[in-house]
Parts: sequence; structure tokens; C-alpha cells
Amino acid sequence: MDPPTQISHLALDIGGTLVKLVYFSSNGSEEESRNGCSVVKGKLCFAKFETRKIDDCLDFIRFNILHHSGVQHQNGAVHDYLSVKATGGGAFKFADLFKEKLGILFDKEDEMHSLVGGVNFLLKTVPREAFTYLDGQKDFVNIDHNDLYPYLLVNIGSGVSMIKVDGDGKYERISGTSLGGGTFLGLGKLLTKCKSFDELLELSHHGNNRVIDMLVGDIYGGTDYSKIGLSSTAIASSFGKPISDGKELEDYQPEDVARSLLRMISNNIGQIAYLNALRFGLKRIFFGGFFIRGLEYTMDTISVAVHFWSRGEAKAMFLRHEGFLGALGAFTSYKTHSTNDSKPHHHTVQRAILNCSGDSFRHIPVTSNLNDSETIECSINLV
Amino acid sequence: MDPPTQISHLALDIGGTLVKLVYFSSNGSEEESRNGCCSVVKGRLCFAKFETRKIDDCLEFIRFNILQHSGVQHQNGAVHDYLSVKATGGGAFKFADLFKEKLGILFDKQDEMHSLVGGVNFLLKTVPREAFTYLDGQKEFVEIDHNDLYPYLLVNIGSGVSMIKVDGDGKYERISGTSLGGGTFLGLGKLLTKCKSFDELLELSHHGNNRVIDMLVGDIYGGTDYSKIGLSSTAIASSFGKAISDGKELEDYQPEDVARSLLRMISNNIGQIAYLNALRFGLKRIFFGGFFIRGLEYTMDTISVAVHFWSRGEAKAMFLRHEGFLGALGAFTSYETRSNNDSKPQHHTVQRAILNCSGDDSFRHIPVTSNLNDSETIECSISLV
Repeated sequence: MDPPTQISHLALDIGGTLVKLVYFSSNGSEEESRNGCSVVKGKLCFAKFETRKIDDCLDFIRFNILHHSGVQHQNGAVHDYLSVKATGGGAFKFADLFKEKLGILFDKEDEMHSLVGGVNFLLKTVPREAFTYLDGQKDFVNIDHNDLYPYLLVNIGSGVSMIKVDGDGKYERISGTSLGGGTFLGLGKLLTKCKSFDELLELSHHGNNRVIDMLVGDIYGGTDYSKIGLSSTAIASSFGKPISDGKELEDYQPEDVARSLLRMISNNIGQIAYLNALRFGLKRIFFGGFFIRGLEYTMDTISVAVHFWSRGEAKAMFLRHEGFLGALGAFTSYKTHSTNDSKPHHHTVQRAILNCSGDSFRHIPVTSNLNDSETIECSINLV
Repeated sequence: MDPPTQISHLALDIGGTLVKLVYFSSNGSEEESRNGCCSVVKGRLCFAKFETRKIDDCLEFIRFNILQHSGVQHQNGAVHDYLSVKATGGGAFKFADLFKEKLGILFDKQDEMHSLVGGVNFLLKTVPREAFTYLDGQKEFVEIDHNDLYPYLLVNIGSGVSMIKVDGDGKYERISGTSLGGGTFLGLGKLLTKCKSFDELLELSHHGNNRVIDMLVGDIYGGTDYSKIGLSSTAIASSFGKAISDGKELEDYQPEDVARSLLRMISNNIGQIAYLNALRFGLKRIFFGGFFIRGLEYTMDTISVAVHFWSRGEAKAMFLRHEGFLGALGAFTSYETRSNNDSKPQHHTVQRAILNCSGDDSFRHIPVTSNLNDSETIECSISLV
């Protein structure tokens, strides 16, 4: 294990399936700003853990937290509490655990508020954050800060939230669906005995959805139903073939099951996202959450669902830091004054410069942390 | 088996999973119509369905029950004349050769969407107490004002789902659909529970508890609501989400719970997409067709809640007694007075239809293997040209 990193500031987003961390790692240089407070340069770093193994997260924080404010945190010998921004349902569910084990008091931030804060921060601060994916082509999008709003944010976590964003802190959760990443992984585990999300995605790479899905051609005897715009290979009924196949679950390749499952969930999310964008005339749809993970099949399915049904009016956009929206939103919500009596841990993020080591889109497995190329160079003001 | 019924007229809707038949059964009385040009025959419209993968059962049924109506004897390989029969659905193409070879039947193909719409319009205009709502455990028949019928949204839940905006007689547009339909429910259900049929899966779901497998808002938030965005702690955050962290295998789950979560997931999703599409066009009534619902209260409740809740009561979900026979009825009522082909004429138009209601309003769930109860037949008369 590496020696403890200097983590001075930290925020958490604890969801149904994953715990997401954003923390600031100083590079050592500290100078005085014009108005007399310290400016520290360093990097915003990212880490994630499985919620069901939350102890791994506790260990990570315990191991890497420096005695920044001279506060030593040991089980049962806490002299002072550390106030840390936390969002997601787990900010409530695990509040006691973090207090007892780490002496951390959660300063709870609303989940939707954090998601929106995170996206706005990224789009305004980090160049080459958003990109489209069409016809196998990945294109970064230049965001005009004066033309950012309104947009639709679709966060695909265990479940899906769809949020209309009209400005900084101005938003409304207009919809959602319970068929999300948790459904994909849950059904995937039951059907394929896979052990993780990444394993399921890997299986899907090699699958053929036509083995399990009932296509228009299967119903029509090989022909299109062109009158209503459906080709013979269009999916009429997801998982429709097992009805009449005479096969059991064991007779199917897990790769084909994974592929059909991924297609089904992705297409459905794309469709509901599009229908909601249509309601409010929204042209841009940003997809967040850890569902996509750079998988081309997923981005293609979602993009097609959005672009095709909207006749090109709406665009699907993906984010490099897709899964860390909530954590980033919580991180950037630290204020200059604290109203509680826990040890002050204030900062505001002043400037952020993206450190981009190249453009290859890397798929990051859950057990390792985001590559250095995904960190965000920035400086923060300490009050 | 009963002796052959007098079937004089017939139409088929052959879908991905089920074959639906509508046929006219004469009660024997025939009289001349007022304008003297045709005979009027009284009888009943009857209904039957078969599994598409066992299409031979359907062939047998037709062969056994078709009377030598026009003096035409149909035996394998010794067909003297073809019978022209209206058929819709994908199977009208897929099985055209099979019906021609085995029964001497030539399919007069009708467009699937056109038939569905024709079927609903026919039922809503002709049959009283066809449509009903289901809210808070209460079933209520809807009186349809014929002058205020259009526009409406038709959501046909077959193997897959089609959503059709209907603006008038023969005026419609398929505006949407979803591939998460009845076929998905049954397909996933078979893989997950080893059930053998749709009805068995529905039966399992009766006794299931979805909270075992679904990840609820309370599971994520530690027992509390997320009231700020209107989600109670028992709202489903992620369908099948608990299977991620439970440490259980498929075998460790009760098939009843799996079936329940599956039914909830598919029903809710259809209700949501239906509502979003109704919203697009300002449609207030959504009629649900197809054989997905089968009178199951949990399904109707889930769909109704999805529609009524999200539309704040503006849109209404409505169900149909003859839900699965829309396409077949639409095909049946599309026979014209003149035939352009040289097959034996088998023309009729349905003149009057009176619903034969045995007085029992209890909604009966009809298993696939038996045909629609007599109380669901439609008394009518047809004109023969």
C-alpha cells in the first residue's frame, strides 16, 4: 500500500450500490492569496467502493487522512469530530457508523442538489468533460457557459433520476425509472452467476442479442414492418424467445443473456430520457452515474434511442467523471463559515485545470481508483 | 370434443406468442333483409386463442369446426377451392404458406395497426360495458360517448408493446412502443422461475412480495422517505436491486417474489411510457389491449397508479373486456361487400351487435387453453351478400 496521501478535504456520495469519494490532495505548495487566506495547489482525486463493503471505504479514509488539523482519530479515542460533506442515501444510513468508527460527522447534502452542483461544476470548470458518441465516433463538446441551461441530467445509479436543470441550484427532478444499473446487475447476477458489474459488461461484449430477443422478423417471418418503420432486426420483445424456444436458462450462453439485458435497460433509459426531454423542449441530455463506464455498445444504444426518436433534435452526452457528480457537488458545497461546533474544515475551490494525459477513454474497474489522468488539477482557498 | 360448430366466418390475428381467432357462429335463423339484397343471419361472435408455437392446435380447431359451408371440402392435398380468410399480425405473413397447404386457406392480409384500431373502435361503439377503469380496488364500466371518442391512446401489450394515437375511424398513427412487453415478462419469468406458462407466472406473482428483491428508497436512505422529491421509503428505487448485495443465488429466492417484482417492473414501465406518450399529445384516455393484463388486479392497479399519479389525474387508464382480440376483431370487421380475388366469396358485414351479458359482472380470468366463456360472446347478426 502507498504511504498515506495528504488528504485535506473530502466529500462522499453513498448510494445504493457504490460509495464515491472526492478528495483533495495537496502538492505541498501553499501561498497567501491577495485577500489574506491561503491558497493550496493540488489535485482533486477520485475513489469508489462497494456500499456492501463499506468497511473498505472506512479503512481507506482512516489510512489516508493526515493529521491535518492535529486531530488524531482512533476508535473510541476521538477528541474532535471532523465535519465532512456527504450526500446520497447513505449519508443518512451510515451516519452513525462514520461517527463511531472515524469520528466523522456527516454534513448532509441533498442528493439532487449535489448531482446538479457536480455537473455544473464540471461543465463550467473542466474542458473536455462532455462528449457525444455517434457512429463509433467520440467527440468532445465545447460547452458555452452562457448557453448551458436548460438541460436534462439523467443519473443512472442503482435507480435512475431525471433532473431538469435551469440554472445554478435551479432544478427539478421531473422523472426517474426503477429500471437502472441495479436492475441490470441484479438480473444479471440471477441469470448469469456473474460476480460484478464489470464481469457482466465483459460478458456482454461477446454476446448476440438475437438469440434471446424476439425480433420483428421472428414475428413477421423474416420481413420488415416497414410501414411503421421497424426493420426485421428491430427488437419486438426483449427476452421474448425463451417463451417458445424450449430451452432452459442453462441452455443459454451467459454472454447472450448479458447482451440482451444491457440492450434492454439502455434502450429503455434512452427512450424515457428522450420522452422527458421532449416534454420540456430540452435539447441536451447529460448521462451520469456508473452505468456507462465507457462501453461503446451502451453509449451507442442510448445515443441511437435519443437521436433517432428525436429526429436529431436532442443529443445524448456523456461525462468523463460520470459517476462522481454527487460527490463533486457535495465537495464544492463547502462554505466559508461553519455553523456547527465541529472542527472547521473549510475551503472553496478556486481554480481548476484539467490534467489530461491523452484522450483514450479508459474503463476503470471498481476495485481501482480513477487513473491519474482523470484527476483535476486545482487550487483551493483555506479559510 | 363437441360436434363441429357452424363457423361461417372467421378472422385471425397471429402474433409472436398467441394466435387469436374470432368466428361467427350462426344460431340457425336466416332471413332476408329489408332491402332484399342479402340474408341476415343471427348468431354470436365467438373467441378462441392458441399458442403460436403450437399452431397446429389452431389448424386442428379450424379444420374440425369448419362446416362445408360453401360445399368446399378441405382435406390435405385435395383442395378444390381456396377459402379467403382475413388475417393480421406478423403470422399472417409467416404462416401464409402453412395455412394454404394444410387448410386451403388463403390469407387476406390486414395491417396489424389498422386491425387493432378497427377492433377497438368496433368494440367501443358497438358493445356496451366493454371499457372499464380500475382504481383503488374498484372496477367501473365506462360509458363511451360516441361523439367524444377521439382522440385516444391505444396501448396494445402483446409480446411487445405498440402505442397508437387514434384520431378517428381508420385515422391513427403508431407513435411509440416498447420492447419490454408481455414477452419480456414471460421470457424472463421462465428463465428465472422455471414456470411453464404465463398463467402460472401470474399465479406465482399473487403470493409474492416485491420488497425481497427490489431495492427500495428506504434501503438506500436507511429507512426514511425521500420526501423532498416525493418518494416514500417503500417506493422502488431499483427493480431487482437487492440481488446485488444479498449474497444470495437465484435458487435462494422464492419464485413468487421474483414473479411479483417482474410483474411490477414491466407493468410500471409500460404505465410510465404510456403516460409520457399521452402527455405528448394531450390524450386523456389510454386504452390497454393485449393479453398481458388478464384481469389481474395487481397489474391493473400498477398501471392505473402509474398513469393517474404521474398525470395528476388528468389521464385515465382503461381496460377492455375483449382486450386480446382487438386485432382479430378489426380483421373480422374488415370484410368488404365485394371480393376482388377469385377465391370463393365469403362476404359479410356485421350489421347489428348486441352484447349477450349473462348478468355476471365478475371479471373472469381465462386460461390460454380454454376459450372465452360464453358470457364473453357477442350476439350479433351479419349480412351475407
